[in-house]
Amino acid sequence: MATIFGEAVDRIGGEPISARMARKAPIRHLDPTLLLMTLALSAYGALMIFSSTVSKQEAAGADPAFFMKRQIAYIVAGVVALLVVSFFDYRHVRALAPVLYGVTILALILVLTPLGDVQNNARSWFNFGLFQIQPSEFAKLALIVAMAAWLAERKGDVRWLDLGLCLGIVGILSALIFVEPDLGGTMVIVAILIVMLLVGGAKLRHFIALGLLGTVAIVGAFQMDLVEDYQIERITAFLDPSPDVRTEGYNLTQAKIAIASGGLRGKGVGSENTQTDLDFVPEQHTDFIFTAVGEQLGFMGGAALLGLFAILIWRSLRIAAMARDTFGMLVAAGIAGMWAFQLFVNVGMTMGIMPITGLPLPFVSFGGSGLLMNFMAVGLLLNIHMRRFL
Amino acid sequence: VRRKSRKIGTRPITRRKRRGHSNATPSAAAASAKTLGLDRLRLRLVVFSVLLVTIFVALFSRLWFLQVLAGDEYQALARENRVRRVESEPPRGRILDRNGNVLVDNRPTLSITIDRQLIDEEKIPKVLKRLSKVLDVRVKELRKRLNDGTVSPYKPVPVANDVTEAQANEIFPYQERFPGVDIEELQIRKYPYGRLLAHVLGYVGEISEEELEESDQFRKGYRAGDIIGKAGIERTYDAFLRGKPRIEQVVVNADNQVVGKRLKQEQQPGNDLYLSADIRVQEIVERALADGIEAARGGGYQAPDGGVAVLEPDTGDVIAMASYPTYKPSMLADGFSFKDQRMLAGDPKTNQDDALTNRAMASEQAPGSTFKPITAGAALANDVIGPYDGLDCPGSRTYPPEGGPGSVAFPNWTSADSGFVTLPKSLEISCNTFYYELGWQMETRWGQRGDGTERFQKYERRAGFGNPTGVDLPYEQDGVVPDMQWCKDNEDIGYCPDGWLPGYTVNMSIGQGDLKVTPIQMAASYAALVNGGIVWEPRMGYEVRRPPVQEQDELEETQTRTETDPQSEDGDPQSKVTEKVEVSKSKLIKEIKAPRGSVLPLDDIELGAIREGLEAVVASGTAASSFAGFPLDRFPVGGKTGTAQRGETGENDSWFLSYGPANDPGYVIAVYVEQAGHGGTTSAPIARQIWEGIAELEGVQGVDASTEVSLASDGSG
Repeated sequence: MATIFGEAVDRIGGEPISARMARKAPIRHLDPTLLLMTLALSAYGALMIFSSTVSKQEAAGADPAFFMKRQIAYIVAGVVALLVVSFFDYRHVRALAPVLYGVTILALILVLTPLGDVQNNARSWFNFGLFQIQPSEFAKLALIVAMAAWLAERKGDVRWLDLGLCLGIVGILSALIFVEPDLGGTMVIVAILIVMLLVGGAKLRHFIALGLLGTVAIVGAFQMDLVEDYQIERITAFLDPSPDVRTEGYNLTQAKIAIASGGLRGKGVGSENTQTDLDFVPEQHTDFIFTAVGEQLGFMGGAALLGLFAILIWRSLRIAAMARDTFGMLVAAGIAGMWAFQLFVNVGMTMGIMPITGLPLPFVSFGGSGLLMNFMAVGLLLNIHMRRFL
Repeated sequence: VRRKSRKIGTRPITRRKRRGHSNATPSAAAASAKTLGLDRLRLRLVVFSVLLVTIFVALFSRLWFLQVLAGDEYQALARENRVRRVESEPPRGRILDRNGNVLVDNRPTLSITIDRQLIDEEKIPKVLKRLSKVLDVRVKELRKRLNDGTVSPYKPVPVANDVTEAQANEIFPYQERFPGVDIEELQIRKYPYGRLLAHVLGYVGEISEEELEESDQFRKGYRAGDIIGKAGIERTYDAFLRGKPRIEQVVVNADNQVVGKRLKQEQQPGNDLYLSADIRVQEIVERALADGIEAARGGGYQAPDGGVAVLEPDTGDVIAMASYPTYKPSMLADGFSFKDQRMLAGDPKTNQDDALTNRAMASEQAPGSTFKPITAGAALANDVIGPYDGLDCPGSRTYPPEGGPGSVAFPNWTSADSGFVTLPKSLEISCNTFYYELGWQMETRWGQRGDGTERFQKYERRAGFGNPTGVDLPYEQDGVVPDMQWCKDNEDIGYCPDGWLPGYTVNMSIGQGDLKVTPIQMAASYAALVNGGIVWEPRMGYEVRRPPVQEQDELEETQTRTETDPQSEDGDPQSKVTEKVEVSKSKLIKEIKAPRGSVLPLDDIELGAIREGLEAVVASGTAASSFAGFPLDRFPVGGKTGTAQRGETGENDSWFLSYGPANDPGYVIAVYVEQAGHGGTTSAPIARQIWEGIAELEGVQGVDASTEVSLASDGSG
């Protein structure tokens, strides 16, 4: 079965791989497809960001390409981060995992203090004037590395103690993100936990226990009024969408209209009098970016975007399968799971099959922290792939 | 090549074999032990990947469903989101009489509207209460108008018209107290001649759902919310009168800001409609009818209603058409009270007849003796009698003539034997027994019960009965020409249990029994007697004209005049300043001519004999007393009285048909009054009054048109 992702091969042409590979530089084993997908998705996103902000920017008399230019700058920074991350052997990262985790926790605590900046009612940003940093985005990657490091130690033999420890790692992190509040971010953290436990060797009984715990946690959160009303309304709106402007269903209805009215071929990028052009979809350059794709490029464009993601995630899984060690495999699987979950929830919510939660579409949505983190994730993947024989 | 070999499924078989083989070697076994945990975990990646495939399948299928399968539906929704249609109603065309007198015009009115889209449900009671205070209208009334189901929910509903400037100023500056409330200047219909011609003119209103869906007339080019002619000539010629609205498509963004506009249609005011009616004659007719009915009531008759139709026999034009009781059309334009509504729709409690029915074309009754010229025509056409042949006029005739069981005696209106009379004389003295015989002959000459060809009925239909005349006004009645088929159709409700009997034909020959006609049918049929035999489809419409484009200063002048002209609701129309239009300045769009319905199969001698009889009726016959003192020498009139027995009550309906001047008829007049005695008693005096007015208009010397209608003594049938 593992042949789907390629098999770990220990000899090629009778020569031990290690001996053979010692002669080869890691750069020779770059995965250009993964890199290409990353850049294609980012470019696609930048274009969509332009088309969904241009009319509003023009109306405000501002630079119509402002958001696109910023995003391109983030992409450039992302490429640099990618190169840096892929340059060092990822096994050093493994050793650094506790440090990374600690720094992340510190940052998440600091962001809740007045040092953090409030936007859209969430205290999630450090504001450095020229740019902002959202620690919860980086926390996702830190968590993947931390969990992979721990589970790799166990070599697939997960015990109750390990489960408890993982829950501890995740619990602290997700609690800090949840109180920002960032419901979407919290959900991604939980998704990463589940994916990594699944791939990392947790047993069925662990998942049953986890399910019970989750139920208790959710009921408890509601009982203690930890969940805001608007969050509940947003989540339930997709079950009964109402076009009324005053309700949460409005966003969903407008998003669905935008996507579906694109039809097979779409209305064309930048064409006038579209839902995008007339600004009917809120938060379109960030969380609802897929509506711009669907409306302007139609099913062709939407399917192409999903296709790019499919290849991206397939390459990630392939890297997971080909990874030299458990740590590499777990990191790659975690990253694939993170992207897949965000893709599914984000695109699903714009099409009305998932609840509306504030989650960006990886590589495509506007936003520097997320983009930087995702590029770093690609860097890690490339790193694992390049050094699979070393 | 190497990279390619890494792809799924393309790995050479030999290599796989080698791997299995290598497991057996000691060095490979050591390596395998080291990676045993990893291999087990790799299997879990498969489970994970199945999950991921599911996710992609879900996303792809949802995308396909939304964009490809439901795309069209959502494209419409997207359009609805951004495109607003802004329509501005054009001024509706005016309606004028044949001489260019303006009968229906527009006037601006300040109207209070409520936009249901802009007001919260819970705020409505409060707003209505405030409005009620300012406008002095009951909250209940306002609520009723607000909930008017005929106005589309996206359009502001007018809840009050004719709001004063002062009232508007109490509302307009306080938008927060009156959310959704707006003040609009609307154009509404005004009627310079008050009640005159109310039934013909009709009224306008918002198109109903039923009309939109079911009426052929309003299927194309009409949409919900349109103002259309609901009745009368407004309805028939709606397409010409309504004009074209200015339609603009406005594209708005999410904040409802207009980002683009496109003119879809330039406004085009409605065209003017000229009627063949002469408002002077109409006024004479309406006054005479009202006077006559009042006189009949004074004389002890019920006389609940009546109708008059005046045609021009040479053209089929309708010169006047009146119905009693009548109403003020402005009431329907301005809004009316509950009491008014009872008046309009009739009230069984007070025996008040409804005012909206146009009895000149929608009242079906037996015509009585006014039908005799038609019977005579049928007998002439079927060679039952020659134009100057005669028959006995006994006090009664028995059919079958040989007597026996089942035979019935049919009496004349007098028991005296009038002896041998010619056909013209039979009309003059309105001899029933003469016409019984004509009817009997037509029924039995070709067989014991006719030969089934129903020659009499065939002629009647040709003379315009049993079908609507086709006048250009809505809601005309057919009337009834009873025959064998009719018997069959009404079998189940107990009509003619023994089938069609010759006795029915005998009865029908004097306009009794189940024969039903409308005044306009009678007028059209009499017109054929005097115009050489042409039965017209009468026309009220005359011409459609595009008014000349008014100069700006001219326009302002008319507007100021409209504003200073107080809308006197009732009163003498003569005293009012009415506008007369110069026809030559406008452009003719369409001429409306009465089509020929059918032609009577009678020659000039036959028609002449009938006319000779009809003129004698007025000069020395059953209508002579009604026309006593009328200058028949200078303005000869021919006519026929009719007294139709109402089956249920034994009361008589009063009919009088006439034409004049007899030597070259310019008018045919049908007068009908329900339950008002004999034809000569009420209807003939009404007709006389009308003729006096017409004679005066035509410049005939020695006519005194100022007399009131007084009942005449008349004992004829």
